[in-house]
Amino acid sequence: MASSPTGRTRVASTALRTHKFMAQDVLQQSYDVIVVGSGATGGWAAKRLSEAGLKVALLEAGRAVTAREFTEHLPSYKLKYRNHSPEVMRTRPIQRQCYACMEYNYEWFVNDLENPYSTPADKPFTWQRLRVLGGRSLVWGRHSYRLSDVDFKAASRDGYDVDWPISYADLAPYYDIVERYVGISGAAEKNEMLPDGQYLPPMKMSCGEVRLRESMQRHFGRTLTMGRVAILTEPHNGRAPCHYCGPCERGCMTFSYFSSPFTTVKDAVKTGNCTLITDAIVSHVDMDTGSNKAQGVTFVQRTTKETKQLRARAVVVSAQALESTRILLNSATREYPKGLGNSSGLLGHYLMDHVVGGGASGTFDDLKVLPSGNPPHRPTGIYVVRFRNTPATGKHPNFIRGYGFQGDSMPVFNFNAPGIGAEYKKAVKLGTYNVSLGAFGESLANFDNFCEIDPNLKDAWGIPALRISMAHGKNEAAMMRDAGVTAAEMLEASGAQNIRLTTGTEMPGMAIHEVGTARMGNDPKKSVLNPFCQSHDVSNLLVTDGSCFVSSACQNPTLTMMAIAVRACDHLVERFRRNEV
Amino acid sequence: MLAVATPALGPAFSLAQAISSGLTPAARGEDGSTVLTDPNWKPIFVDNEQNETLIALSEVIIPTTDTPGAKEALVNRYLDLLLSVQPAEFQRQFLDALAFIDSESHKQFGDGFRKLSHDNQVWLLTPWAFARQPSHWTARGETGTEPPDLGEQHFEMLKSLIAVAYYGSEIGEKELGWDGEFTHGPYEGCQHSATHT
Repeated sequence: MASSPTGRTRVASTALRTHKFMAQDVLQQSYDVIVVGSGATGGWAAKRLSEAGLKVALLEAGRAVTAREFTEHLPSYKLKYRNHSPEVMRTRPIQRQCYACMEYNYEWFVNDLENPYSTPADKPFTWQRLRVLGGRSLVWGRHSYRLSDVDFKAASRDGYDVDWPISYADLAPYYDIVERYVGISGAAEKNEMLPDGQYLPPMKMSCGEVRLRESMQRHFGRTLTMGRVAILTEPHNGRAPCHYCGPCERGCMTFSYFSSPFTTVKDAVKTGNCTLITDAIVSHVDMDTGSNKAQGVTFVQRTTKETKQLRARAVVVSAQALESTRILLNSATREYPKGLGNSSGLLGHYLMDHVVGGGASGTFDDLKVLPSGNPPHRPTGIYVVRFRNTPATGKHPNFIRGYGFQGDSMPVFNFNAPGIGAEYKKAVKLGTYNVSLGAFGESLANFDNFCEIDPNLKDAWGIPALRISMAHGKNEAAMMRDAGVTAAEMLEASGAQNIRLTTGTEMPGMAIHEVGTARMGNDPKKSVLNPFCQSHDVSNLLVTDGSCFVSSACQNPTLTMMAIAVRACDHLVERFRRNEV
Repeated sequence: MLAVATPALGPAFSLAQAISSGLTPAARGEDGSTVLTDPNWKPIFVDNEQNETLIALSEVIIPTTDTPGAKEALVNRYLDLLLSVQPAEFQRQFLDALAFIDSESHKQFGDGFRKLSHDNQVWLLTPWAFARQPSHWTARGETGTEPPDLGEQHFEMLKSLIAVAYYGSEIGEKELGWDGEFTHGPYEGCQHSATHT
């Protein structure tokens, strides 16, 4: 595929038509549903509800985004600081801890100076997030895995905490819906820990990865599969397959990876039933105390800082677990002094984020494949399915639950080659054949990991900010130690050399998989939401993002969040049809 | 680190701060590389002498061969810009390393590094450019536990920065074989019919 130096001339004019802020009539219209947040789950809520004929207002805190600002084909030498911009260091000291926050795209990420939060001094937490149409779906890692009943019913097996109120059978049809629409490339493996779904052909494995897969199966009976990712390998729903340029997190001119602005949100707006309102920072949900129902939201216009209100018959909060929880905590009323929908006292508690830090790397010195300056850049890697504490492998002595690995094996240039001069230039090009595995482990639900409103901290719009208090515990530490050791063992068994392992735990937030602050359940005293993501306390208030998770499992959560959002929205549509809202 | 950083953002934060919006220079389509090719370019971080030393050092480490070297890739100019926005501690380490090379050059040859013959420049740097091991003759334990060589540390820092600056330039990308296109797909993966184990 030919392209100009920046790729700019080939960008199709698919800029989304958005409602410019803001004719008064947009505010005075009456809506059936307000959806707060336009990311992976909010996009689905807007699509599902508006396609069912409901009048939807979709509120996004950030600005609209267009394909014209994508930078995936901009070489780094065109950046003034080649990705070491002082502006990123100054305005995104926290966001830049995310691999995807770069000199290319940092304006998509929140400005940390405008969006503060606090933590106890001994409990660092990194909160990495975007405020722009599509939210984190613009830069997400795209790995898309189903949870299984080993996850949904984990408490029944090991006695820790509680089961989810839903089972795999409840969610399977919605996984199907989401996968068919999104387009997930991957391979079926018939592994009970990772149910198979609706897949486009998988991306291909390198020689090193094929070797590791074979060795892992033969020596350990473990499954290594190609990453199941929301990146197209063939044309799908009007979108072109991946052109293998590499850095999805800088945008995609062919929309080959899934991001909500160019899929679900676009569909929602196309119905004519969905009004998209950008730059609308929701501060709280407004209650009608007489009827005990949410009557709409109050938001602050981002650029003018004017306060506005919007009214609807139901409110769906889908702003990301911590942000949604912040909105509900900031919506406290006389009837709900601890936060809206928080009669259980659990809102904000059981915050989870996958534990990362354990893993190993090495080299396959006998694989004589030179790195290429013109490689197809496969924008994903491989995945090792959880093998600890499974029905087949039994109970591990040191920890409960388990972890999976992401990784890859590719020839790379050897910039660390010894020497100087012409010989060094040659050695760089000879390269090394690397292999690495990094674990994502289950983070146990723990009441003491929580977020609350910091009474002394507000954001740039005057909205009270969060205080986040979370630490990984002994189980997570034992798991990462085991992950480092097993990764090294598996690399060694496959013939790798120069093996190095890591066994530590990174600070929470690093996996960017926050879930669990408004857990779902059947008992209103022990959960915030019902199994359809509806507030136990306020029947026309839903939270349809990762907040509802009861356990984190170890699989990347976005696919499950989307499936749960669709299930919750279909249920809401039914209630509208039965006139129950 | 964040535990310190987060509360620190609190007091520094002011409601009067401008609300950021908009696009990165990259997303606006700005070419940030022109600052390096400006005909009136002058160093903003290093002084002229340090600049000359950096040019000489980078060209010995990554010389012009049948392909362009570090000097033509303007490695010195990019590093000058990069260093200008780094924390003071990092800036100090860089200048210390550069000064160390020059002082060793004075000790051994009585002149600054930039003024040495190419052969003497190579002679000076080469011992720092390879990993050390215990003596071949005695294999004494203590030779394996000697403290890390200061010259090696300074040299490693400079070499890795020079490599980053060179291979991150357009010349460097082409040195690695890049044809100027962005897509070379699809990825075909392992093409071998037999197994790999």
